[in-house]
Amino acid sequence: MKTLILGIGNPFLGDDGIGVHITKELAREIGDENIDIEDAGTDGLNLLELVAGYDRLIVIDAIMTEDGEAGEVYRLKPEDLAGTVQPTSSPHHANLASTVELGKKLLPGRMPGEVIIFAVSIQEVAGFTEEMTPKVKEAVPVAVNLILEEIKAA
Amino acid sequence: MSRKIIIEPVTRLEGHGKVTIHLDDSGNVSQARFHVTQVRGFEKFCEGRLFWEMPVITPRICGICPVSHHLASAKAGDALLGVELTPTAKLLRELLHMAQFLQSHSLHFFHLASPDLLLGMDADPAIRNIVGVIAEKPELAVKGVGLRAFGQKIIETLGGKKVHPNAAIPGGMNKALPPETREEILQKIDGMIADVQIAIDLIKGYYDRNAEVAASFASFPSGYLGLVDNNGNLELYDGKLRLKDDKGAVLEDMFPPGDYLSIIAEKVEDWSYLKFPYYKKAGCPDGMYRVGPLARLNIADGITTPLANEEFNSFKKMSDNGLLQGSLYFHYTRLIEALYSAERIKALAQDDRICGKDIWVDSARLNEEAVGVVEAPRGTLFHHYWIDSSGAIRKANLIVATGHNNLAMNRSVCEVAKEFIKNGKVTEGILNRVEVAIRCYDPCLSCSTHALGHMPLEIDICGSDGNIHQIVRG
Repeated sequence: MKTLILGIGNPFLGDDGIGVHITKELAREIGDENIDIEDAGTDGLNLLELVAGYDRLIVIDAIMTEDGEAGEVYRLKPEDLAGTVQPTSSPHHANLASTVELGKKLLPGRMPGEVIIFAVSIQEVAGFTEEMTPKVKEAVPVAVNLILEEIKAA
Repeated sequence: MSRKIIIEPVTRLEGHGKVTIHLDDSGNVSQARFHVTQVRGFEKFCEGRLFWEMPVITPRICGICPVSHHLASAKAGDALLGVELTPTAKLLRELLHMAQFLQSHSLHFFHLASPDLLLGMDADPAIRNIVGVIAEKPELAVKGVGLRAFGQKIIETLGGKKVHPNAAIPGGMNKALPPETREEILQKIDGMIADVQIAIDLIKGYYDRNAEVAASFASFPSGYLGLVDNNGNLELYDGKLRLKDDKGAVLEDMFPPGDYLSIIAEKVEDWSYLKFPYYKKAGCPDGMYRVGPLARLNIADGITTPLANEEFNSFKKMSDNGLLQGSLYFHYTRLIEALYSAERIKALAQDDRICGKDIWVDSARLNEEAVGVVEAPRGTLFHHYWIDSSGAIRKANLIVATGHNNLAMNRSVCEVAKEFIKNGKVTEGILNRVEVAIRCYDPCLSCSTHALGHMPLEIDICGSDGNIHQIVRG
């Protein structure tokens, strides 16, 4: 089984880059030729070709929710995000559920059968900085362990 | 009671924008503005970093045109070192650039613009999107994916990484082109050229059926700025600046890009984070100009590749003075450039020097200040760096395409809002038209903030007292 671990976000935009920071840590821990680790930067349609051909996709990203506490780590399935960004909206901003659905139509048979999302709750993205806020930074080892367990369990 | 309508942020664009439309007491538009409200401060963030690092830092400004920032930054580095690139390095840089043009312009046409053009601006928003296009014209959507994948593959192989390129460095390139990639390009390129031509036929068909809308939609006079080669032809990687006025008269020609500050000034407004560049001699807002595909073809005398030049001649015949001002013509010009990019990719791959190994030159020199410029898919991109003796950035100034077009996008929003909103009647189709006007410019709002859960569209309708009366989310 080929797995892609994809960190999404901009490491120069503070907490927005949490996904990228986590993939860097995972790259140190994982040495499996069936697992690729990428830092993707942006999301949406731009990711279609990147994820094509893998059996399993693990996405790591920042999430903003109405009542989430900064630094909380969630394990989600694409359908959990169905209400976030409608399929009518930006391909640059298309959410994962709609991207994968679109991919099934555009690249038949090449979309991962299993998609898991690890999302870290953040409060706001204020400006360009490489520093994450303390609570979000503390979430890095928590998320890394959860993802390592996820991989072992498969 | 008069109202204010806010569209926030504009869908199908990178970054965060917001539109506010103020209505007067009789329900007609009194003012409309396009705001950019997302994070800022990238120039400050660059201070203290070595100019060598800039080509890998600046692509992070924007998720959709990383190659443009990568190349503008590397070119500024070349100029700081005072070096001339080897022929192979120059060919490789252009190949990388053309691959991005092809994939970026294809994404825009097939996935962003085609829903409005093929399905109609008043079509149900639930189907007026790429999924609707797949249902209606599946073969077209697949061609869009194919063109993108082709461009992306070149960027990946040549750029060194799947997403963020790291191959261009001050003084040249750090990777040669593998011969097998060259072969693959040559095998596939004719099919890519044919697919772009299909899209061109589609857009021309649209203009034939909608001649009046194409000519009038967000149409207004403005200046046009871009690069041209030494013969005045379209040039995207390296060239001199040309600026034409709204009648087609040449205001500046063969202007060295490094001196841009003597013809361009930037105004700051408190309601937008994005600055408003304008032509200095005409002042603001009279010095409004546009950049990007429409501007580049409006200022050029010709195109150096045969198929694209044929289309260019058709484009020039559509007006008396060689200037088209309607914003919907951005789509035609974008595809003509996609065709040019595909033809250039073929020519570059056919050049035997492309697989050469002599790709980098060193220099003992270090200038204190330099400008790197390229035409990004969305328009002229300036990277201007001032460095200290260790090579650390003291100050950086970046002018991005969306900045150059800022005044014009505001004008477009105003034109469309005034034309369609009458007596307070605001429908989804009308608000979509406002977005269509902005989408013509394909603005990347210089930010890749993207957190999940973010709502892409909000329309607020407010009274003259400034209170929001109605909120519409898309």
